[in-house]
Amino acid sequence: MSARGIRRPLAVLWWVVMVFLYLPLGVVVLYSFNSVNSAANFAHFSLRWYHRLFNNPQIIDAFWHSILLALISSVIAVLLGTLIGYGMYRHRGRRRLGWIIALIYLPIVMPDIVFGISEMTFFVRFNQLTGLLSPGLGTMIIAHVTFEIPFVALILYSRFVGMDPTLFDASRDLYAGPVKRTCHFIIPAIKPALISAFFLSFTLSIDDFVISFFTSGPESTTLPIYIWGAIRKGVSPEINAIATLMIGAVAVAALLSLALSWRRSSQRQ
Amino acid sequence: MSQVSSSDTVRLWRETRHLLWTTLPASLWIIIFLILPSLYLVSMAFMTNGAYGQPQLPLSLDAFRQLAGFGFLGWSPGNLYTLLRSLWQTVLSTAMVVVLAYPLAYYITTCREKLRPIMLLAVVVPSWTNQVIRAFGWMNLLAPDTWLSDVAAELGFIPEHLGLFPSAFAVTLGLIYNFLPFMVLPLYAAFEKLDVSLVEAARDLYASPVRAFFAAVFPQTLPGLLAGIVLVAIPAFGMYVIPELLGGGRSMMIGNLVAAQFAEGSNWPLGAAGSILMLIATLVGIVLLRRLGRRFGGGEEVVI
Repeated sequence: MSARGIRRPLAVLWWVVMVFLYLPLGVVVLYSFNSVNSAANFAHFSLRWYHRLFNNPQIIDAFWHSILLALISSVIAVLLGTLIGYGMYRHRGRRRLGWIIALIYLPIVMPDIVFGISEMTFFVRFNQLTGLLSPGLGTMIIAHVTFEIPFVALILYSRFVGMDPTLFDASRDLYAGPVKRTCHFIIPAIKPALISAFFLSFTLSIDDFVISFFTSGPESTTLPIYIWGAIRKGVSPEINAIATLMIGAVAVAALLSLALSWRRSSQRQ
Repeated sequence: MSQVSSSDTVRLWRETRHLLWTTLPASLWIIIFLILPSLYLVSMAFMTNGAYGQPQLPLSLDAFRQLAGFGFLGWSPGNLYTLLRSLWQTVLSTAMVVVLAYPLAYYITTCREKLRPIMLLAVVVPSWTNQVIRAFGWMNLLAPDTWLSDVAAELGFIPEHLGLFPSAFAVTLGLIYNFLPFMVLPLYAAFEKLDVSLVEAARDLYASPVRAFFAAVFPQTLPGLLAGIVLVAIPAFGMYVIPELLGGGRSMMIGNLVAAQFAEGSNWPLGAAGSILMLIATLVGIVLLRRLGRRFGGGEEVVI
């Protein structure tokens, strides 16, 4: 069995897996253009579900909630995560840092259902006691920041570690104060990491369903929560159309990242 | 002398202050909004279930007894089945993901270098769409009277005009679909670093292809494989969305059992006890796989 001999079956496997991966998405896209509401047969091409979608204020609201939630939570998470990432970098090698690392990993490893439910019960109790933090966008932002911080911290930490440490000393030798050092040296140096941390947080937030589901209130439905409700009730034929638009957004993001990686590799050559 | 030690004290104080203001805001955030709520949830498991499902005093171990299946009507195996089903689904889907991802990751490394990033992207992109949408796609495909269900009925797997979902099979399929990329990526990283000279040496020593594989290839990819298993098995065990949408009542997993207890009029202490079980399972999984990872020389590969 030569390397050439097994490449053929492997290529077949590759294409089978590709069909497996893209078939469910393809079906959603296809049926969003179906003139009748049925998963079993495709009647003919129609844009009626898109038309209904854009005239449904609940969906438009859900869309804006998703965006707002992702924006606000990412900004807060980037601020807090960058700070702790910098702290972890400057004080790495200290023994006491162990508990911070454990703390950082906790939101990542905790099952999201347990995460969501503990937030929910906590907010409900807190609300009973103080009248503050009733379930809504506020509680969702808090929960999203909590699971975004670790990713920001880890991205920024590895960026700091990758930097030339003499740069830090150089900036200090030139008598730059802490504020100047931060504005003119640290922030420009970590800008790419800040941007990618922000985008990752944003994506994580947009993508999240379980934690949002348990921390949301009746007025703070996001798109995934809306879709979930519509599927469960089995009443909304617009789901295929919303889902298609979301798949389209992902496809655009994929093409962009492909273009970026191409540009990067051509610059390297 | 005293000069030196006092400047040392100043430096130490500065360092500590720096450590505090950089790490404290995020740490406090996680402590207040994740550790405290989790402790509150854990404490609930030791309370008694009130008339409206709310936890109340006195303290008791009722919730754990109920979790083990003891109810008003004596013992019933329902919860035990749910637990075993979660374990089985996790093992089965992880194994299937390995079987698919291992050759796939190898295949990607044999392709032209320019093509590889595109191929990896092609594997990962579906997982960028929301998991609710992906499960919904499978609901569409596996529904009654769709062509997949018709083929399955034709082959005698299911009765006529019945869908392939809801079913345990649909859940397994959904889990494989969801987690495949998480296995391909670490395995690809392992294959890319593979030292081919070891394989050539094995072949030169007249090892059969199978023997060469197990002696020279498999051990080198083991760290990647273990990293993949951490990334797949642990979240698969706690999965909520897929069993909820694709599974139906008889294919429930532990996450669904827990969530159901927090719905209106159920049993919060029981749900909290179930959460503790999930946390323990996660912890055991991580520790076990880290141990294995370290033993097979890939400790730092296992990210978590």
